[in-house]
Amino acid sequence: MIRGRSCLVSLIKNRCKTQVFNHARVFCTKEEKKEETNFDEEKVKREKQHEFFTKRALILRGSFETIEDKNKGSYLEMIDIFINKDVHRRNHVEFIYAALKNMKDFGVIRDLEVYKKLIDVMPKGKFIPTNLFQVEFQHYPKQQQCIIDLLDQMEDNGVIPDYEMEDQLINIFGRRGHPVRKFWRMMYWMPKFKNLSPWIVPNPPPNDEYELAKLAVERMCSVDLQSKISTFYTSDVESSIDDTWIVSGQSPIQQELLAKHNREKGLYIQGPFKIWLRYKCINYYLLRSDSPENFVEFNDQIEIDDVSDIDVPIFSLGQVKPKSNKLAIMRSVHEQKDGTVYAICCIGQHTKDTLLSWLRLLEKNGNPCLENLIVLFKLATPDNTTEIVVQSKDPVKT
Amino acid sequence: MLTRSLRHIIKSRCFHTTPVNTTFWVKSKKQGYEGPRKLLTTKMILDGLKDLKEEIKIWKEEMQEKLESDPILVYRPNEIDVYCRFTSPEVIDNWIVTSDSDHNEGHSKCTFKTSAAGYGLWSGVVTSLLPQDGRIKKAGYCSIRSQRHTKSFRRNTYFDWSAYNTLVLRVRGDGRPYMINIGSEGTFDITWNDIYHFVLYTRGGPHWQITKIPFSKFMLASNGVVQDKQYPIPLNKITSFGLSVSGRGGFDGPFSLEIDYIGLEFDPSNSEEFAYEMYKQEKYIVAT
Repeated sequence: MIRGRSCLVSLIKNRCKTQVFNHARVFCTKEEKKEETNFDEEKVKREKQHEFFTKRALILRGSFETIEDKNKGSYLEMIDIFINKDVHRRNHVEFIYAALKNMKDFGVIRDLEVYKKLIDVMPKGKFIPTNLFQVEFQHYPKQQQCIIDLLDQMEDNGVIPDYEMEDQLINIFGRRGHPVRKFWRMMYWMPKFKNLSPWIVPNPPPNDEYELAKLAVERMCSVDLQSKISTFYTSDVESSIDDTWIVSGQSPIQQELLAKHNREKGLYIQGPFKIWLRYKCINYYLLRSDSPENFVEFNDQIEIDDVSDIDVPIFSLGQVKPKSNKLAIMRSVHEQKDGTVYAICCIGQHTKDTLLSWLRLLEKNGNPCLENLIVLFKLATPDNTTEIVVQSKDPVKT
Repeated sequence: MLTRSLRHIIKSRCFHTTPVNTTFWVKSKKQGYEGPRKLLTTKMILDGLKDLKEEIKIWKEEMQEKLESDPILVYRPNEIDVYCRFTSPEVIDNWIVTSDSDHNEGHSKCTFKTSAAGYGLWSGVVTSLLPQDGRIKKAGYCSIRSQRHTKSFRRNTYFDWSAYNTLVLRVRGDGRPYMINIGSEGTFDITWNDIYHFVLYTRGGPHWQITKIPFSKFMLASNGVVQDKQYPIPLNKITSFGLSVSGRGGFDGPFSLEIDYIGLEFDPSNSEEFAYEMYKQEKYIVAT
């Protein structure tokens, strides 16, 4: 623990130094006069911070938490500071664990370069076993476990390593090291599943909601190859209040079905439902109706095992009539037992007004029958049950 | 305690590539998750006697079937035989629903019930949030599983799926990938947790999808750790079937999967025996 503390203290010191240096550099270019006073203020502030840290509980939190602008640059800078601190690189295991814990906040959790840089912290050659017993009894277990945990984190986040990492690991742990074995396993299994999904989503998925919506609607509409995905803007509707985009997907079959829809029966706009594209999630809405009452689930497979009642055509000539449920128009994929789906959309603003605009725009674009149909809004408010509330009944034991 | 919980977590999550080196004798199949014994021995005997009537009935049917029916020798190709259809609530109630919050090892929650459309709806929230007591390193899973296949008098037995080569599922998902777990429990403790895995990708959206997965694609994992020495799935020794979902790697959030049926099919066009390489690997590296 004490070693961990000293490590972190020195880390903080180093961090301070570089920050001060950076500040100084910035100020040098701007105003040279103010430099000294500012420098002193900074120094006092940092010393206070330092004191604050050393006075806190036995387990200190790493200096990663204290950084204000958390990005890849500052993260790599932290690693550089640690590497260049001294030749011994004491407590590198603790440092790597602290760094792994803070990856998410810095937005580098899916960045291979950062993982490689972290592995680079380990000294090369020192942990290579030289005899059979060292191999068998996990030479330098803490260090090996640390890198295994790092690789685990990569695996959890779907980061596939590359062969440069293999060289790094072999240089650190030798060809018999457990991290190297894990690397080989990862390199065998992970690429097998990398592009296995039949619905391809770019990796990483787009951050822009509009792009994501287009991908989502395209994916959902892939069930019918004739589907047309179009982008509407609510500004095209005169009475609309919102000004946003609508990504709508509909196929000619769905248009036909909508034209045939019984006018006395209502239509629904239902939603929001959720669809996941990798680790991104987006809401969508449906235009649908209940299935018609005469919806019969017909079975196109004749039970040929059933020998109890065989029709012999020669004895019942002219009497055999086709069974009513054996003869039906082939249903499209959109007509399901629980209802018919007429259109799918993703919208920029989750309001009733936007959905109404969608309806108007659908009417303009190939569904004139919508004018005469009753449409109900079945909108669910965001479900509170889906949120996890962590009750902190038992406080953290220290 | 720690190893127990870790093992459980590894077991429940997606396959991991770190091997487990537990070669020690394991006492119970539940591996520490038995819970306190609630019933008295006398009560258990009485309950057992009550069940006897039902069990004898089942045994009678079994014997009758054995004597009367001829074995099926030819399975018609490309015909889906349904193993489990979730249109009745009784079937759904027979399945085991678990998540990491059951043993206070996480905050995920899930339910498995009949949906509005009348199918089995497995939904809930998965989250990788950890409990604050520091016992658990990683969390975030939900899963459903069928019970161990048994015959009369609660004797363990196996499903024989050797006539089929493809698994068929009719589902309606939410775009998440799910994991299919086919249990093939053996006699000895090292094979108790042998489960064959594969991914079930879902399209998402309001339409149903039918997914066909050849059994040759399934890979062996024990306690959730994918094995170096792979074997094709022994289709005559299937004990349970399950699905699981993970909340790790940014997948925290709600999920829902509607299942119509799980079926089996013999597809003559698929002649693959095993999808993964079976060559001999380096000594002392593999399975260590």
